[in-house]
Amino acid sequence: MSDAVLPPRLSPGLSPGLAPPRPRWRAGETLTAWMLSLPAVLAYWVLLLLPTLAAVALAFTDYELGMDGFAWIGLGNFAELMTDRGFLQAFRNTLFYVAVVTPGSILGALGLALLIEGGTRGRTFFRAVFFLPVVSLTVAMASAWQYLLHPTIGPLNAVLRQVGVEGPAWLSSSGTVMWALAGIGIWENLGFNLVLFLAGLTAIPRDLYAAAEVDGARSAWSRFRLVTWPMLGPTTLFVLTITMIRAVRVFDTVKVLTQGGPDRASEVLLHTMYQEGFTYFRLGYSAAITLVFLAIVLALMWLQTRVLDKRVHYG
Amino acid sequence: MPILSRRAALALPAALVPLAAPRLSRAQGQAEITVHYAQPFIYKESYDAILAEFAKREPGIKVNFITTPNYEEGAQLLLRQAATSQLPDLSYQGFNRLRIFAERGIAQDLAPLLARDGDPAGAGYTPNLLALAHFGGMQAGLAYAASNPITYYNAELVKRAGGDPDNFPQDWNGVLELAGRIDRLGGGTEGMWFTWSGDDWMYSALLFGHGGRMLTEDERDVGFAGPEGLGALRLLDRMVKEGGMANMTAPAARQAFAAGKVGMLFQTTALVRGTLASIGENFTLRTTGMPVIDPQKGRLPTGGAAGMLTAKDPAKREAAWKFLRFSTGPEGQALMVRNTGYLPCNQIAIDDPQHLGAFYRENPLFTPAVRQLPISIPWYAFPGSNSVRVTQTMVDNLARIVEQRATPEQVQQDMAAEVRRLLPRRS
Repeated sequence: MSDAVLPPRLSPGLSPGLAPPRPRWRAGETLTAWMLSLPAVLAYWVLLLLPTLAAVALAFTDYELGMDGFAWIGLGNFAELMTDRGFLQAFRNTLFYVAVVTPGSILGALGLALLIEGGTRGRTFFRAVFFLPVVSLTVAMASAWQYLLHPTIGPLNAVLRQVGVEGPAWLSSSGTVMWALAGIGIWENLGFNLVLFLAGLTAIPRDLYAAAEVDGARSAWSRFRLVTWPMLGPTTLFVLTITMIRAVRVFDTVKVLTQGGPDRASEVLLHTMYQEGFTYFRLGYSAAITLVFLAIVLALMWLQTRVLDKRVHYG
Repeated sequence: MPILSRRAALALPAALVPLAAPRLSRAQGQAEITVHYAQPFIYKESYDAILAEFAKREPGIKVNFITTPNYEEGAQLLLRQAATSQLPDLSYQGFNRLRIFAERGIAQDLAPLLARDGDPAGAGYTPNLLALAHFGGMQAGLAYAASNPITYYNAELVKRAGGDPDNFPQDWNGVLELAGRIDRLGGGTEGMWFTWSGDDWMYSALLFGHGGRMLTEDERDVGFAGPEGLGALRLLDRMVKEGGMANMTAPAARQAFAAGKVGMLFQTTALVRGTLASIGENFTLRTTGMPVIDPQKGRLPTGGAAGMLTAKDPAKREAAWKFLRFSTGPEGQALMVRNTGYLPCNQIAIDDPQHLGAFYRENPLFTPAVRQLPISIPWYAFPGSNSVRVTQTMVDNLARIVEQRATPEQVQQDMAAEVRRLLPRRS
């Protein structure tokens, strides 16, 4: 679970050497540079690049775990994906999950960040409270949610019963299961986004607000619209990308709480990939789903770096 | 590679022993084997007890255990290791996964070894018990632990609904009627829950109960498209309509039952220990056999695990076979039952009261499953590479009945069509 995707401008640039090196040392220096970066280069090849290439290759085979050989089947796996009811359902469910969790956790975090920033007391307390879900283990928290959302003995439905509403079977009814999972997703992502927004808010120069007030922006809403929101642009872009990537790769809660059920109503991309590869042992097909997943993540990152980045950085 | 390093570390003392006692090693043969099993939280005590006893008899054999948290990961581990030639020498796998290993040539046929050791039935391996691990046309393993589905009920709720806990209804009509009454008690109580999700095991209990089959005899077509299959689906439908079966996930249903909110629960006998622990003092737990559907043709599926031999080296193979024989023999089985609550898989351990008589007298909750042994048949495993996917397809379709989104007739048609597509094509 590494979230170490930093926006490009945050990564420190290597400062150029002060004095240009003498020519005869150049070869030796290049060699030293390669030797020094060798461990990292090796690790990158062995742990990232080669496995990724292997997965790409596997996606074009019919390899099954435990079978002796395999055959190259070209785009066969991808053709099957297009007609696989389970995969298409997983794809739609993942889109739904991203479409609910992304705005939910971003707007929620922004609202809370403004409240905490505007408040006078208990900032650290509230920051810690909302950040707790981020540092807790999702699998363990999923068990807690399972109890909270329990149809008969769960506190949520007990509260609903008090006001005369018969609560649904949140995690076992196909009509509510994706909403319940998305709710947990928002809870999970909110704290992380909140901290990022708080950092973004403190970076806004105070005098901009003063200047805005002089220029006639008197209401809180116009201060937000004219100063806060534009100045938060880079932060929001980063939060948006990160949240979407985190949402696309939803897996733990599904695996622990629903296993994709009932009748595939909560099947998501990574869970389908896991099922195909490790329960049904169809590694080739599973690799094809991995490629689809990879394409989505890369597209999101491309969107951030190439398209949106240009519009939110001023100066 | 923790296994390799562990092996290397353990090989050191093993290599020193022959120097210290050359005569002993020549007499007994020195071998070191690796044995895999799943679900240590259920099985660890039983394997440790068996190994302690085994070590006394075969001091020359050194056994190293490796474990996986569940059967699924156990199957993955073996398939991965088969690809890299790092297989353990003996592995205990879930019954329904043995066919995968048999069809992929990983499990070895045990019939010749059994025949070499004399009459199998004389050693407690009766044809019925051997059949539990007979898959893919061969004796792919020897059954180690067995279970069958039973009825768990809350004696207090049954009494409150006007039922008699000592005279629990024997057929589904009576059971559903009582469940309906418990459901109407109010206060958030549910009548019953039937473990239909997870895999096809409990559906097969309803199907076999009607005398039905999963596939036809020649395995070319589905066997649940007839009246038995429909009867099983209709029962599931009636559980929702008459028995007040709520739409819950399996863990949610077990929690609600343990909290005293569900009248009866239909699930494997293997969970008696765990259920007792989670109930605590909440209510009195009682168990009884599954409601009878067809008294003559009705059967029940058997869950559990079997040991399969994977060693290639002759000395290791011999040693692994000895351990497998001991763990599935009368003494090994008695130790297994006392430490897990599963059913014994050796006829001598079942019949001879010196092994388990006292255990069952003191633990009556385990006895319904023993009484059902005569009508227990193997858990059916589907042929071909879609074996596991078929079970998921069936569960998905059962969900439509539980959610009341489709009638049993519709579901039967769709389920048959979808499973047919997943069966191996034959020319």
